[in-house]
Amino acid sequence: MIYFDNAATTRPNGRAVERAFEYLQDKFFNPSALYQEGLNVKNDLKQAREFLISCISNVQDTALVFTSCGSEANNQTLFSFAKRGNCIISAGEHSAIHETANELKNRGIELRIAPLNPDGTVNQEALLKLVDDKTGLVSLIHVNNETGSINDINSLAAAVKKINPKTVFHSDGVQAFGKISYQMGAAVDAYSVSAHKIGGIKGVGGLFIKKKLYNVLKPYIYGGGQENGKRSGTENTFQIKQFQYAAEDKFKTLREDLQKLHELREWLWNALDKTAFTRISTPSGSPYILTVSVPKTRGEVLLHMLNDRGVLVGNGSACSSNAKNRFSRVILACGIDENTADGIIRISFSNQTTREEVETGAKILNECALELKKRMNL
Amino acid sequence: MEFQSVIIIRYSEIFLKKKNRGYFERIFKNNIESAIKDIPHTFTTTAGRYYVENFDEENTEKIVSRLKKVFGIHTMSVGKRVESDMNKIFHTAKSLCPESGSFKVETHRADKKFPLNSVEISREIGGRLLSSNKKLSVDVHNPDFYVYIDVREDGTTLVFSEFFDGAKGMPVGTAGKGLLMLSGGIDSPVAGYMMAKRGMHVHCLHFHSYPYTNMQAKEKVVELAKVLSSYTCGTRLYSVSVTHIQEQIHEKCADELMITLLRRFMFRIAEILARRHSMQCLITGESLGQVASQTIEGMTSSNSVIKKLPVLRPLVGFDKNEIIEKSKAMEAYDISIQPFEDCCTVFLPKYPAIRPKLDYIEQEEAKLDVYGLIEEALSTLEKIEL
Repeated sequence: MIYFDNAATTRPNGRAVERAFEYLQDKFFNPSALYQEGLNVKNDLKQAREFLISCISNVQDTALVFTSCGSEANNQTLFSFAKRGNCIISAGEHSAIHETANELKNRGIELRIAPLNPDGTVNQEALLKLVDDKTGLVSLIHVNNETGSINDINSLAAAVKKINPKTVFHSDGVQAFGKISYQMGAAVDAYSVSAHKIGGIKGVGGLFIKKKLYNVLKPYIYGGGQENGKRSGTENTFQIKQFQYAAEDKFKTLREDLQKLHELREWLWNALDKTAFTRISTPSGSPYILTVSVPKTRGEVLLHMLNDRGVLVGNGSACSSNAKNRFSRVILACGIDENTADGIIRISFSNQTTREEVETGAKILNECALELKKRMNL
Repeated sequence: MEFQSVIIIRYSEIFLKKKNRGYFERIFKNNIESAIKDIPHTFTTTAGRYYVENFDEENTEKIVSRLKKVFGIHTMSVGKRVESDMNKIFHTAKSLCPESGSFKVETHRADKKFPLNSVEISREIGGRLLSSNKKLSVDVHNPDFYVYIDVREDGTTLVFSEFFDGAKGMPVGTAGKGLLMLSGGIDSPVAGYMMAKRGMHVHCLHFHSYPYTNMQAKEKVVELAKVLSSYTCGTRLYSVSVTHIQEQIHEKCADELMITLLRRFMFRIAEILARRHSMQCLITGESLGQVASQTIEGMTSSNSVIKKLPVLRPLVGFDKNEIIEKSKAMEAYDISIQPFEDCCTVFLPKYPAIRPKLDYIEQEEAKLDVYGLIEEALSTLEKIEL
């Protein structure tokens, strides 16, 4: 099997799982317990928290609330900070922001949507025109999950704050954390991440938040007051430790992974048959994602054919006649025509991806795409 | 108090049968037994009535819900069986009565040796119930609830208070075997249900166009076949790929005839499979005029490729709303409306032919190697375990 759907989830880092498992066996205690063993676990959580914060910021300015996933972190941010006035998101947001923002709209918040450039990044000029003195929150995705486009969120945040310093700036960093080099800029207030995109386990995520806003952050789950009252529920110590260990490994090789995957991605693109494939994701996007299309076919059909040949990719367009379900709103927002949007698949890598996989994958991708075109009489 | 719970089953149309009633009854009993075979119980039969007894009280609802899916049952009652003794009958009747309200006692006396006749039994039990609880009253025309007393010939009496409707119809297996063309939509499971209700043992054939359709669509069809199977005492599900047929039609024939031509292939394949397994008809969920292919011209086109078997379309005269109601009642609707397309939409023409002429259809079809394609499709035949 060749796994090219790492933007959906990655294989858990085995070494990190083993370390966390040993930890769990030994230190299974409830971190809220008052005896020494419980306190030790609490300290271990603190250590995990501080390490993860140090990856993209510093503990003087930034706090981290562990959540169950990136979506929860996104929800908590939007419901905490978009309380009145207007809320701005981009047309390239993941559903965890897009749908949450729509819910805010239903609750009476004015929702403004910033358009995208053809390369999938947010159109800065148009975005800034939307910001005014009533803008409570701006949330922009860092690395788009469908196109790999990278928004320069530090400078976007700074530009937003120039117009309205009181606006809270959030970014969904799920596809960026541990993958691209980044330090949270002074103007970025909150940043969501998820463990399972970098070798962690599904079920843990986090919200980095600047300490000056920490008191304003509202809990999304109430109860025993864990996570300083910001997220009740007994801490998922095993997964948090595994997240820490996986991140330790991932951040260590972040730069060399970037270099390696940049080369692999370009190698793969160069090997793909240009009579079949059109490139959607740009070379300046995340090297972890290569989005391509076989125009006039359906991405899901190619996905099934590749699946039968042992290659797993992510889907763009679904086998549905219903236009609402069929096309990705993000792809259409990049100005891509329906025929091209129809045939999209997403190939996404991890630092485990090898040259051999990419070589074999390219061959199978070409064979399947050409066969599909032939079968569809294109 | 000495009584035991009993579920009384009364059958529907079978009583109209004369010489072959035994045949119908034998199949009916088997169907009932197989519906509840995993729940410990005893099953006894008398003329016109069956009894399920000696089961754990906790399983009552489970048994009743299973029996509600057995065709041939007219009504059912959950009650108590006691010794035919007026004191015991009274105490049992009292235990079934609510705290207050108006009631009526109705008695049937099969045991003519019982000292009181049915009117006297009703009067006496009614009187004793009245004097035992001041909040009860008698209303023989419009009571809030009934107490039914049935004095049987074996020295026992059945006391119960309600009649539940059964699925009615005829026992499955008494009216031959048919092959249902099952899609993932709303109509075809209902069509299968309706034929099963008339006693037909229904098996299913599903056409898929993988990789143009997905795995979830297949799972959905499996779920629908399972729902149908709960009414049919076991349904087999076959699947056949029509992917290459669609590709060939797309490549060689007029776009507007995609569905018309595809359906002719489906009918031919279904007839071959049905005859191979001694099934006596094809069943479809077509309803006249519902979509472009379900016009009378469309049906004529499909029927003209069938050699021997009748094609039954039990929904032909129903409105969509009526079909949806039936789909909900048989508990298939929530599965049917899952958004996975069962048929390839990649090749769907923008404007399908609504009234295709047979000559034109045949002329277009002649561009294809019809029998080669059918043989190839049949080589993809799969029996899916439910």
